[in-house]
Amino acid sequence: MKQACHYASRLASDSLDRPLSLWERLRLKLHLSMCSNCQNCDNNLKLMRQINELMRNNHYGEVRLSDQQQNQLHKALDKHSASVN
Amino acid sequence: MNKSDDPHTWLNEHGDYLYRYAMSRLHNDELAQDMLQETLLAGWKGYARFAGQSSIRTWLVGILKHKIIDYIRHEIRGRNLTEAVESDPTSAFFNANGSWNESPSAWKENPEDLYSSEQFQKTLELCINNLPEKQQIVFRMRDIVGEDTPTVCKCCDITSTHLHVLLHRARLSLRKCLNTHWFEKGTHS
Ligand SMILES: [Zn+2]
Repeated sequence: MKQACHYASRLASDSLDRPLSLWERLRLKLHLSMCSNCQNCDNNLKLMRQINELMRNNHYGEVRLSDQQQNQLHKALDKHSASVN
Repeated sequence: MNKSDDPHTWLNEHGDYLYRYAMSRLHNDELAQDMLQETLLAGWKGYARFAGQSSIRTWLVGILKHKIIDYIRHEIRGRNLTEAVESDPTSAFFNANGSWNESPSAWKENPEDLYSSEQFQKTLELCINNLPEKQQIVFRMRDIVGEDTPTVCKCCDITSTHLHVLLHRARLSLRKCLNTHWFEKGTHS
């Protein structure tokens, strides 16, 4: 099929953002079953998505404001309220 | 000023949580602190609009979320990236028949090991910064910040089809960049 890999890579990307139609799913599945290049691309895109999700959800779990940051923020709030009131 | 509308109390009770939220989306401590400060001040100024239907924390997260999206949009636009024209890099990855010019390789590394690697984060950030403006904005909002597609479309004033085109381009360029600068590079010391 013409433009097969280009189109498959688009479907692989789209599948991360929207549900594919039945026809699109079949077409992608069929192409991936015959094309190791697109299989790799599909897996690479999924891996990138997974890493970004892990980074967002797990990586900063233990992060806290330092005492210095807390102080700076309290001071900034004071300064601002003084200038308004 | 009673306890519930005092930004100092918000800072003590929700500061760490909000800071973590900002850090996990911006990956930059100074910037996360700035966003937190702006959020507390905006919350304090707009407290009259807080109807109390949600918790203070949820309300503050809502403010912070908008500040982050605004920041990404304006900051990247302000950079005046040299590549103002949104080229279509995907066409360079395929030949006239739509087959790959250069075969994508299988990536053997485990996502669990990569996400916590500072070195990998740096490489990823470098690759994202190389994207043209629009691709970079939508990719950051969608895949780094994790906003849903309607929110990204609304923020950037684009159709969902345009969003899919931009994300496809961004992801294929990133895939290629990470492949070159990380996965095929071998050692990461
Ligand atoms: Zn293919």
